[in-house]
Amino acid sequence: MHKARTRSVRNRATLVGSSFAALIVIAAALAATASGHAAGKTISVAIVANPQMQDIASLTPSLFTKQTGINVKYTILDEGKLRAITTRDVGSGGKAFDVVMIGMYETPQFGAAGLLQDLTPQAKADKSYNYNDLIPAVRGGLSANGKLYASPFYAESSFLMYRKDVMAKNHVTVPARPTWAQVAAIARKVNTPSMAGICLRGKPGWGDLGASFTTVLNTFGGTWWSSTPDGKPAQAQIDQPQFKTALDFYSNLVQGAGEKDAANSSFNECLAQYQAGKVAMWYDATVAAGLLEAKDSPVKGKNGYALAPVVKTKASGWLWSWALAIPKSSPDPTDAWKYIAWATGPGYIKEAGTKTKGGWAAIPPGTRLSTYRIPQYKQAAAAFAPKTLAAMEAAPIDNPGTTKRPGLPGVQYVGIPQFQDVGNRCTQLFSSVIAGSMKDTDAIGQCQRIASDAIK
Amino acid sequence: MTDHERRGTKLGVGESRAGAIGLGVAAWAVAMLWIFPIAWTVFTSFKTEQDASSQTLHHGLSFHRYSDVSHSTVGTLALRTAFTNSLVVVLVSTVVVMLLALPAAYALAIRPVAKWRDVLFFFISVKFLPVVASIFPIYVYAEKWNLIGTRQILVILYIAINLPLAIWMMRSFFMEVPRELIEASEIDGTSLFNQLRSVIIPIAAPGIAATALLCVIFAWNEYFYAIQLNFAGASTMPQWVIGNVSTRGNFLAKLSAASIIACLPVVLAGWAAQKRMIRGLSMGAIK
Amino acid sequence: MTAADATLTRSGTRKGSVRDPFSSPWRRRLPLLPALLFTIVVTQLPFLVSIYYSFTNLKDRTQSLIPEPTKFVGFDNYRAIFNDPFFRQAMWTSVKMTVFAVGLSLFFGTLFAVLLDRRFHGQGLVRTLLITPFLLMPVVAALIWKQQMFSSLFGILNRVLQFLGLNSVAFISDHPLASIVTVLVWQWTPFMMLIMLAGLQSQPSDILEAAAVDGATPFGIFRQLTLPHLRRYLELGALLGSIYIVQAFDAIDVMTGGGPGSTNVPYFVYQESLGGGFRYGSASAYAIVVVIFAIIIATFALRVLSGLLKDEDRV
Repeated sequence: MHKARTRSVRNRATLVGSSFAALIVIAAALAATASGHAAGKTISVAIVANPQMQDIASLTPSLFTKQTGINVKYTILDEGKLRAITTRDVGSGGKAFDVVMIGMYETPQFGAAGLLQDLTPQAKADKSYNYNDLIPAVRGGLSANGKLYASPFYAESSFLMYRKDVMAKNHVTVPARPTWAQVAAIARKVNTPSMAGICLRGKPGWGDLGASFTTVLNTFGGTWWSSTPDGKPAQAQIDQPQFKTALDFYSNLVQGAGEKDAANSSFNECLAQYQAGKVAMWYDATVAAGLLEAKDSPVKGKNGYALAPVVKTKASGWLWSWALAIPKSSPDPTDAWKYIAWATGPGYIKEAGTKTKGGWAAIPPGTRLSTYRIPQYKQAAAAFAPKTLAAMEAAPIDNPGTTKRPGLPGVQYVGIPQFQDVGNRCTQLFSSVIAGSMKDTDAIGQCQRIASDAIK
Repeated sequence: MTDHERRGTKLGVGESRAGAIGLGVAAWAVAMLWIFPIAWTVFTSFKTEQDASSQTLHHGLSFHRYSDVSHSTVGTLALRTAFTNSLVVVLVSTVVVMLLALPAAYALAIRPVAKWRDVLFFFISVKFLPVVASIFPIYVYAEKWNLIGTRQILVILYIAINLPLAIWMMRSFFMEVPRELIEASEIDGTSLFNQLRSVIIPIAAPGIAATALLCVIFAWNEYFYAIQLNFAGASTMPQWVIGNVSTRGNFLAKLSAASIIACLPVVLAGWAAQKRMIRGLSMGAIK
Repeated sequence: MTAADATLTRSGTRKGSVRDPFSSPWRRRLPLLPALLFTIVVTQLPFLVSIYYSFTNLKDRTQSLIPEPTKFVGFDNYRAIFNDPFFRQAMWTSVKMTVFAVGLSLFFGTLFAVLLDRRFHGQGLVRTLLITPFLLMPVVAALIWKQQMFSSLFGILNRVLQFLGLNSVAFISDHPLASIVTVLVWQWTPFMMLIMLAGLQSQPSDILEAAAVDGATPFGIFRQLTLPHLRRYLELGALLGSIYIVQAFDAIDVMTGGGPGSTNVPYFVYQESLGGGFRYGSASAYAIVVVIFAIIIATFALRVLSGLLKDEDRV
């Protein structure tokens, strides 16, 4: 009896003791996993995974940290993830980032909602930043109520790129201001089994197929939503005849004279196809020109450039910018501005020209008027720089189509928060139409429902 | 040779030599086909980007892509950082899982609680609950408690996702310990701790190793929680791999190299421990 | 056996007697508590919070140009779910994805296990190669298939098709669900193979030899003796595989980014909440509905489990 009792006491003690030990081990383990902090000031910057951004990330230690003593920790994400994470972080007052890279779509919305710092006072006061040097359309696109909420790092419009030699061989002239009818005819004429007539985006996503398609939609006289007089979305317009005309035109052109596997193609895929000589024309971002005319490009020197094709409007090129903003909840706004003033100032552009691998043709384009006056840039980018500037200045940011749009200004998107999700879901349907696996009327019906539900 | 090892060595009655060789050849063919995507990726990782995008081989093979991805610029997620983060998170979470699962399995197998079936069902039903459904509350509270971008949050979550499987497997292995040995140790008056140490663990050791390996595999390869909660700090290897995907420009060879580097540790661990995993499974995962 | 014997526990001590050191039920429970408490706190509490959110119209602040205060909306979110055809589509896609992926990987896994069951030159190496896909990161597996195998531009499969004079196939665009199921099967077959190997190797070989001596064909032996023995292993493989495959997320995110026909329920809920919809209230309601379904399925699946645990009563 006695032996059993002491044994039971001993076992109980062991149990309790081991439980405590386990808890202590767990606590110690958790404490041990805490990562250390770097010495000195560090700011956290979220950027998108584009080559110009990767260039600045590699130049930051020598050009910025050395001068200011501020370390920069970059988080590089692809567009979709960056959007979701910055939206979530900025929207919930998170402190993960001092500086976020956001697009022209989000900036006015976040700014108007009071989630970003107003950069106008600092921007105007800083002489070396040179506020008036920013290309006006870009500056306007990143502002709300007259206040600048993000500083542009990179900006683009869209235009048409084509192989001059292929056009010459087919005795075709591409007008400098073409219409979509002309472009479609040319594409069908030069289309062969080994070289498609044109490359158009088809990959789902409001920033992929959505961007290209919306510019086409605009110039065909269609729109996503009608607007109330005070700028709120009134009714979904997917079921209108102009929308179907635009969608049919786009999908027929791609199916008839477009690239293979269009439903999976966005910028990267069309770039690869164009450089491999598999497509003769390409409608996409102006920044592509820099890659096509780069030193090691197989099609260097063979390309012509025309403005974005139109139908009912005077211009249809899109306007997009990746810009740096300071969330209201940023832990270190002072250093954040120092970084932004450096990264988006005219000084960095000059340094990038000499210090990056791609040289002058690969500097961040489209943000400042002074860029287009730099002699070395003018020389290196002679083939496309003037056309790019013309496209950017012509982008119809305030009046992209034939009717009033709801929300804040935008060409290839609608400046309301619901557009992102609606655009993503509808472009998935449209991509299936392009792939031939869905009827246009079905896609339109479903999209109309999505768009109507979103604004309820 | 044990019965288990002797299986399949001699021809059984009714089997022909040609048939046996045929099966062996078939097995090799199947393995070659199944491994082809990985082999092709390894091949691509040695090419230049231009060769990679057009499946040619004009510029030869080299390790350059591997050094490209290993050297990252200051301020971006470095391989070393991601690797350390993954290593710490995986090891700590696996150790804690085993520390929690061993006693729990004891309480379900050796000295079962009254409602052991219900408890087991509860643990397994937890695995059926979709991870995405609870991400928003977890995000909100992780933000509140400053756990976003830390290793701790991942450790906690990985423990939670691996614990049910570990308990389930450990219980099965403990069931294999012969009753007589347990009774004998009790009659001898050994404490619970010693009982575990000298009787149970040595017999269940292959099972414990198999369970730990599975926990390591699932934790190392986990992507969803990492990308939702640790986008700015304490990023792990899956995020480092994805960071090599670019939307502008070709990246296929670099991505292949990054993928190989990221998967190598777990692949090597799995290769080394595969026999143990099979033995563990055949021993006790099912009776 | 006398009645007195029947009350003895198998360890020879009477349950509840002082001689049994684990007499108190609480002492039996104590080792279980840390794991149980941890699991409850980390997995169940978030669902309670989700239930709360599901009755509100909580959204991310960026989703309205004019700030909207969060308010209670009762069962509105749930009512909307019943009218949502896209959610129904996601559920159907989940069912198809899980059934095909689990079924095919069980089939191939058994096949490979049978091939690997006998000794041949390099058996260890073959097994090593075959389990490798399971060890890869799911995102890496998806990237490999998307870029290296399926892609029209860079992919080797289309290269081969062109070489054979056939048209190239846009695998992911035209067959999104099949593409995802392919990746899942490729990764999970090795896991099933290991389980089935365990099953095959736990068969006592003397019975098999006896049957062969009696004149049964290898195929007949397989059908009559091996398969019934393997049944429990098949059930275990199906159970474990379903648990993980029903939650498949990485492959969809990487390969198709959602889209009709490839969005399963987890991806749908994700898109509604942190993945772009930012409608947290509504997403929580979806999450709760999904949890209810999950509990129903789990109860169903656990009947299978209780079959596996039938003769395992220990005191």
